[in-house]
Amino acid sequence: MAEWWDNIKRLTMIKQYFQQAMAQLRQHPIISGVTVVGTAMAIFLIMLLVMMQQVKEVPFAPESNRDRLLHVQWMSIGHTDWGDDSTSNGPMSAQTAKECFQSLTTPEAVTVFSFISALPASLPGQPTTLIDVKPVDDQFFHVFDFTFLDGKPFDHAVLESARPVAIITKNVARAIFGTAEGVVGKEFQISHAPYKVVGVVKDVSTLADNAYAQCWIPYTTSSAMAGDWNIYMGEFSATILAKSRSDFDAIREEVNRKRDEFNKIIESSGFKLIYRNRPYDQLKHSITTAANIEPDVAAARRQRIIIFAILLLVPAINLSSMTQSRLRQRIAEIGVRRAFGSTRGSILGQILAENFIVTLLAGILGLLMSVAFAYLGNGILFSNATSYDLTPPMVDASILIHWSTFGWALFFCFVLNLLSTGLPAWRASRINIVGALNGRLYN
Amino acid sequence: MTKKLLTQIKNEWRSNLWLGVELLLVSVVLWYVADYLFTNTAIYLEPRGFDISHTYLIGMDELTEASPDYHPYTDVEKEQGEEKLELLNRIQHRPEVEAASLSSNSYPYNGSNSSMALGLYGDTLVAPRLTIRRMATPDFVRVFRYEGVNGETPEQLAEILERNEMLVSDNIFQRYGHKASEFVGQTLYANQDTTQTIRLGASLKPVRYGDFHSLGGSVSTSILMKLPERYLSWAEELCVRVKADQDVNFIENLKRDADSQLRVGNMYITSIRSFEDQRNAFQQGQMSNMRSYYTGMGFLMLNVFLGLLGTFWFRTQQRRGEIALHKIHGATNGAVFSRLVCEGLWLLLLVTPLALIIDYNLAHLELNSYYYGSYDDLPRLLLCAAIAFVLIALMILIGIGIPARQAMKIQPAEALHDE
Repeated sequence: MAEWWDNIKRLTMIKQYFQQAMAQLRQHPIISGVTVVGTAMAIFLIMLLVMMQQVKEVPFAPESNRDRLLHVQWMSIGHTDWGDDSTSNGPMSAQTAKECFQSLTTPEAVTVFSFISALPASLPGQPTTLIDVKPVDDQFFHVFDFTFLDGKPFDHAVLESARPVAIITKNVARAIFGTAEGVVGKEFQISHAPYKVVGVVKDVSTLADNAYAQCWIPYTTSSAMAGDWNIYMGEFSATILAKSRSDFDAIREEVNRKRDEFNKIIESSGFKLIYRNRPYDQLKHSITTAANIEPDVAAARRQRIIIFAILLLVPAINLSSMTQSRLRQRIAEIGVRRAFGSTRGSILGQILAENFIVTLLAGILGLLMSVAFAYLGNGILFSNATSYDLTPPMVDASILIHWSTFGWALFFCFVLNLLSTGLPAWRASRINIVGALNGRLYN
Repeated sequence: MTKKLLTQIKNEWRSNLWLGVELLLVSVVLWYVADYLFTNTAIYLEPRGFDISHTYLIGMDELTEASPDYHPYTDVEKEQGEEKLELLNRIQHRPEVEAASLSSNSYPYNGSNSSMALGLYGDTLVAPRLTIRRMATPDFVRVFRYEGVNGETPEQLAEILERNEMLVSDNIFQRYGHKASEFVGQTLYANQDTTQTIRLGASLKPVRYGDFHSLGGSVSTSILMKLPERYLSWAEELCVRVKADQDVNFIENLKRDADSQLRVGNMYITSIRSFEDQRNAFQQGQMSNMRSYYTGMGFLMLNVFLGLLGTFWFRTQQRRGEIALHKIHGATNGAVFSRLVCEGLWLLLLVTPLALIIDYNLAHLELNSYYYGSYDDLPRLLLCAAIAFVLIALMILIGIGIPARQAMKIQPAEALHDE
């Protein structure tokens, strides 16, 4: 019975906070406008930053396993004749990929693939369209989870025998065959050579930059194999799928052991592979800009924190000054409540709660604005610094909106509220009752 | 007047402290942003040394054995080179084309580069280590309209390249206080090898690596040589300048003819892209950084505006009586307005010295932008601080202006009728 009554009381209290907050908003339209716009703008910008960061590290199909991925996109090679600080940098050769990565036993799977190139595709005798083609191995479809609308991935035998087959996206199927239905088994041309469609998958956003392409072919049928500029460096990258994140150390250890063994074998040629602490996890991989520069994850995080701090602090000071002014007008009310036995804690809690309602409403507005902007301004927001592609990346709810997105928005609203209301509320809760009844905020 | 204002600011120090802290924080951050934008804009506006209007990049690729049209080579390098030259030839003969060239790691806004060591008089004058080496067929300088420092036209430069002479950027020996133009006609050594010599044909106006790579930076020195015949098969780049008055639907027309007219042996055309697009793609990262900084600047200014609007809205309400009294004693509307605005401006003036000290220290710690060898160059620091000051002052003017206009409308009789 008592519990039931407590719940009613609590609900009434929340309702009262809500009414009070609304009443205050109506009382000073200009100030309310300033508060709402200031809060919404802050949450808007912060959430844009959060989303820009999330598309780089949060899992979404077909990169649903991002948590368990380790990447070796590029590496470096040195030579005894070149001196210590001279290296050549880029993707590895098919042989290096085989010896150093495909032979790993600790991970669940390892995929080896080359980079995308825009190649002409068409039905024989028809005008060509450029599509992004990525030469991959059969494990690629284990590491990344594509949604197959028709057909299935190619297997290891197809890769080994270099059979010209292709997996294409729905959009490519439409562009070439005029339909996405029943195209499996049909033939078309990539770079004026015949390929047979074995699978049609859902389109992939360029934001999934490891998995992205519009067409995937066995790398043995591509010109990537001819791209080796010596037997160690070429046109291949590797991505490792661990059984769980806790295996990362063991995998790194095995990777380093393989590298040392390989370097021993090639020692007589004067060459030496240099990894710069690769493989990188998804976060580190996402901020890698060059093969020969190891990214500084801590510095990037520090920079983000400073930006978040500025985005929170400046509006918080603003709002704080306004909360202060507003409380000054309510000082007699607070005095009366204190005189009738309200504790300091309950006054503090009430002011914080009332303001939190306003912050939350404005925060929801800011979040909605940021999601809308992410859809409309996707080209501006998610432009990829290391890509030569100018088409804006495709975004959808599965990419942009995660539970953590709401979590972050709520968290930042809470911090903003605490920063902007905490101090004025704390001071208001400690007023001298007699003074307050006389309308004085300070003793 | 000033003294009265300062006393008033002091009397209301509690709420002014909030505003002061905000103005200080915003002053420093806006200075930092202004510094970044100033530096990058200044670099962006430097002369580029090339011209990409009406130019296009044509991608080439070769058939693989999987294609029924593939024909095997007996001498790969020779035959591939010949096929590329023939493709170039066909494109040069299109009526709308002004010039076209083959090159390797040479075109502007290029992520790939080669470098070469170059010396004069043995080791007396040596080009910087990261000197970019471009190798191209002679018409390359006509495609991108390179110019010589002595007024050589692109056509004259192309003739010099045709003679197998070298072009270098004028700043190649800058660190010795010499201009390359002083050595035109002399023989340079390549790769510290005295047997590898090449005559310097002309000195070029420096060619920048990209719009955000400054002339004073490390990749602004360059060498341009004629692409030797034996390297033709390595040339991955086909660049075209279209006649200005015929630059319509170039990409569509070329694509239409690609299959019928522009397939030579195993070579075929993959993509055609304007250099405008190539530039935008190459600089996506920097452009998006610039945008972020502009957004940050806008956000901070909006906050100053909102903060002052809110605070002074309260203040004018609280000071109704006081403002009415002023008016009774003969204050004009203008005087009421300027008194309020000046209060805000004085606050900004008071925090500015503090902001300058913080700015200077940040610059001294080299946490801001680098520009021509320094971080804490005083004129630049003052200029950027002044930009920040003016922007904030403007927001103060607008933010306080709105409530101040309301205050001007106060009717003394009404406001004081309780007294």
